[in-house]
Amino acid sequence: MSYKLADDKDLEAMIGIVGKEYATNNKAITASYLSKSVMGLEAQIPDIVVRPKYIEEIRKILLYCSAEKIAVSPISAGLSGGFACPTIKPAGVMLDLGRMNRIIEVDTDNRYVVVEPGVTIGELWAYMHKNYPEWAPPVPDGAPPASTVMGDAIDRGFSLYTSSVGPQGDNFMCGEIVFPNGDIVRTGSWALPFAKPFYKYGIGPDIWSFLMGSQGTLGVMTKVAVKIYPHPKFKTVVVWGMSNPEDMQNLTLEIGKQEFGIAHNTVMVQGGNYPLVMTRWPKDKVPHDYEFYEQLGISKWWMNWECWAQTQEELDYVVNKINKMAEDFKKNRAKDPDSIKPQELHPKQIASRLKKPNKIAVPYSFWEAGFLFITFYTPWNECAHFAEMYTAAMEKYGFPPVMWIASIERCRQAICMPIICFDSTKQSDLEKVQEMNRETTEYALKQGWLNYRPDPYIHAPLTYSQAGMYWKYLRTMKKIFDPNMIMHPGRLALP
Amino acid sequence: MAKTGMERLKELEKEIYKCIHCKACRFAYSGEPSREGIGEFTGKQGTVLYEGMVDACPAGIEYGWEAFWNAGKMWIARSILSGDLEFSEEVRDVIMPCITCGQCSSQCENKIPTVDIIESLRAACVEAGIPMIEKHQLVDKLVKQLNNPYGGKAEERFKWAKDAGLGKYINNKNAKIGYYVGCTASYRQVEVAIATAKIFEQLGVDFTLIEDEVCCGSPFFRVGAVDTAQELMNKNLESFKNMEEVLFSCAGCYRTFTIDYPKWMTNGDKLPFKTMHAFEFLSNLIKEGKIKFKPNKELKGKVVTYHDPCHTGRHFAHEMEQSMIKKSKNLMMDMRKIDNMIEEWFDIPRVILRKLEEDVGIKFIEMYRIKNNSMCCGAGGGVRAGYPDFSLRTASLRCDEANAVGADILTTECPFCWRNLTDANELYNHGMQVMGLLEMISKYKLLDISNLK
Repeated sequence: MSYKLADDKDLEAMIGIVGKEYATNNKAITASYLSKSVMGLEAQIPDIVVRPKYIEEIRKILLYCSAEKIAVSPISAGLSGGFACPTIKPAGVMLDLGRMNRIIEVDTDNRYVVVEPGVTIGELWAYMHKNYPEWAPPVPDGAPPASTVMGDAIDRGFSLYTSSVGPQGDNFMCGEIVFPNGDIVRTGSWALPFAKPFYKYGIGPDIWSFLMGSQGTLGVMTKVAVKIYPHPKFKTVVVWGMSNPEDMQNLTLEIGKQEFGIAHNTVMVQGGNYPLVMTRWPKDKVPHDYEFYEQLGISKWWMNWECWAQTQEELDYVVNKINKMAEDFKKNRAKDPDSIKPQELHPKQIASRLKKPNKIAVPYSFWEAGFLFITFYTPWNECAHFAEMYTAAMEKYGFPPVMWIASIERCRQAICMPIICFDSTKQSDLEKVQEMNRETTEYALKQGWLNYRPDPYIHAPLTYSQAGMYWKYLRTMKKIFDPNMIMHPGRLALP
Repeated sequence: MAKTGMERLKELEKEIYKCIHCKACRFAYSGEPSREGIGEFTGKQGTVLYEGMVDACPAGIEYGWEAFWNAGKMWIARSILSGDLEFSEEVRDVIMPCITCGQCSSQCENKIPTVDIIESLRAACVEAGIPMIEKHQLVDKLVKQLNNPYGGKAEERFKWAKDAGLGKYINNKNAKIGYYVGCTASYRQVEVAIATAKIFEQLGVDFTLIEDEVCCGSPFFRVGAVDTAQELMNKNLESFKNMEEVLFSCAGCYRTFTIDYPKWMTNGDKLPFKTMHAFEFLSNLIKEGKIKFKPNKELKGKVVTYHDPCHTGRHFAHEMEQSMIKKSKNLMMDMRKIDNMIEEWFDIPRVILRKLEEDVGIKFIEMYRIKNNSMCCGAGGGVRAGYPDFSLRTASLRCDEANAVGADILTTECPFCWRNLTDANELYNHGMQVMGLLEMISKYKLLDISNLK
């Protein structure tokens, strides 16, 4: 596909739509939207950035760009779905949706909140905490508070409740989307003009699910209704340590299979290995030997169960049951029983782990200068295999073997995230990262493991090359909404 | 050889490349979204929810575009280093309206020294031949002619001292303690200079005002005119070279001498004297039980709040943190020590305020954003001179926050913050009194030195 380079005439057109305050091709401003880290190493300075406020402005921008064949990439306001999916070649117009930042409605009976794309998870959390303390939105854990609710939804990310209730995309009831053909579509029950956003599958078949994982390649989402959940006062964190990922996987699976009463109360189940702690500090200012971490009481591998309950009795029951099951696993089925032990947490450590949202995933640049999350979904009972394969690859390429793994929907799936800590000022490091990325992706695809938020130059093309029929229909359906294929071209190996 | 801005920028390359565009730097309390606050308050600049994390980057709030928030500037710096972007007036106009308050650096989990980066970026921009904005050119011209950015005559620098009966301290030859007054307190907020000198006198400090004192260079380090700044630095180093200790009443001057001078001096050179702000001096005496305050009927029951100047607050905290990080062999174990040190640093003015509460009967109430998360007054970084409307709106945002806690008196410890907050207080009718902490002590004659031997 060929696209038109946006020029001064196009800028004039954008100014005509949003006003001169909110459209620019200022080179410093456009460069400031770059991001080459976290989820991908490629980005292109957009030709024009536009900051619309209203849905009608977005509709006009998309219609114009579609007619002119100018690429458009939307970002919400923060990291997820924002700077994690920056503009790539062929650049074009970037839509910064940060001005659309209203929390529109909270309904505690039907248990949803309606937000615009620019609402950050920290802002929504503070708003709920102040005004509806009994209720909490499904904010991501680890994604910084400045990331957006919408961005995390579209990425089907990991959040506070995903270990219990399923992928983050499932926490969203209805959405409002503007497509480049000029149509504004409301999904789920919102398809009916007077309906509340109470039923995701609405008048069916479901269009919302089609947009999940689309990374801005189909349209611009302008409003979503997201579920809220009770925010009980009784919480704690249970941690068990072990020496290997297999014991971590199998113990967690046994607990995950206790779907009612136990696994449902463990709102977040996530773990990893000790380099996950080590690489949060500068490479030359922290011990690398495991002995140091052992002395601090950190196991080589561990799993956290964050438990929420309505009463102390309920919480005690859940904690005791997890501990009892872990003891039984250690005694009867563990690969390395001696290494399996509970990790006693200081109340401050518990409070810190319960804090939501948090910046826990941010400091991996501190190790050197830059990092990359490469994330895969696997069946839960294959996550140990994934961890072993990937940590070996990281060591082979000279990177610390940092691995984070979390359960989705009570161990139906695992979200596995190796964190590649490297020096992004060095071209040789960048090349090594991409070489390893390609090698591991080829291996992973042979196992049937899927990328979460695939990068445009390695994951997406390799994945779709093995799913030709799916790609064919994806492209055909995209053509309906986006006839000139202007939405974030290249992002998902779609033109 | 003194360093160029581009050399500093290159030195900081690894720090710049640590930015992952997470945008935590946009907020105060970015790591505390459940922090209990004071609720919603509608002030002169609109409604703010003082709960959890709150937007706190003045330039980002004012201009909105990504480039004006800190993360955008980190990526501009990266684009300059990688050759994707060249210096131009467009770049200048985006990097200049930043107060360099350092709120962003306080939020950064990767400990990026953002203020250093932005100042180096500005210096490199000037070196690249991009003209400074007109208002900065004007102050640069003034300081070159008169050694101060206000256009004041050199012989009038210490007129305030003569008028206040403090003339004997000018060139007080035997004194080994210098009081560096700075341009703002010398030519504009003379109340601060008088109050400080009188307190020193009352405490029996044998100090000197050095007639050859010139502008510390702070505005010029901030806006990238590092040649001018270094010239001023060298003059001051020469004038104060015989001092054992130099005391300050201006946050910006104190920061410039203590943090900037060693950074821009020839490699390896150290300051030939110790530096200390007057509030540290006073705070130490309170901790040692040597001074207390007298009750005051007029002040009793008044709600007093305190604005942490960025230059004495965060900038010192960052400097401590960076220097401890450099020295540390195991940062995981040392980080708590660093945090404690920073907490102690921010407590210094609060020792005075708590003592005032105890002895005088004021009600000391903190604003929502304090210490490392304090909201800037809007004056620094060349913004008050270059972008006065934006500067005053920012000061008014801070005054709103003081109004939100019902403050009768907003105190601070920087004449530049004092000036901007006072102007915003008047312009937007915030209805408070704005006062320097030392000024309050001096004006109401609160100092009780009966325990001082």
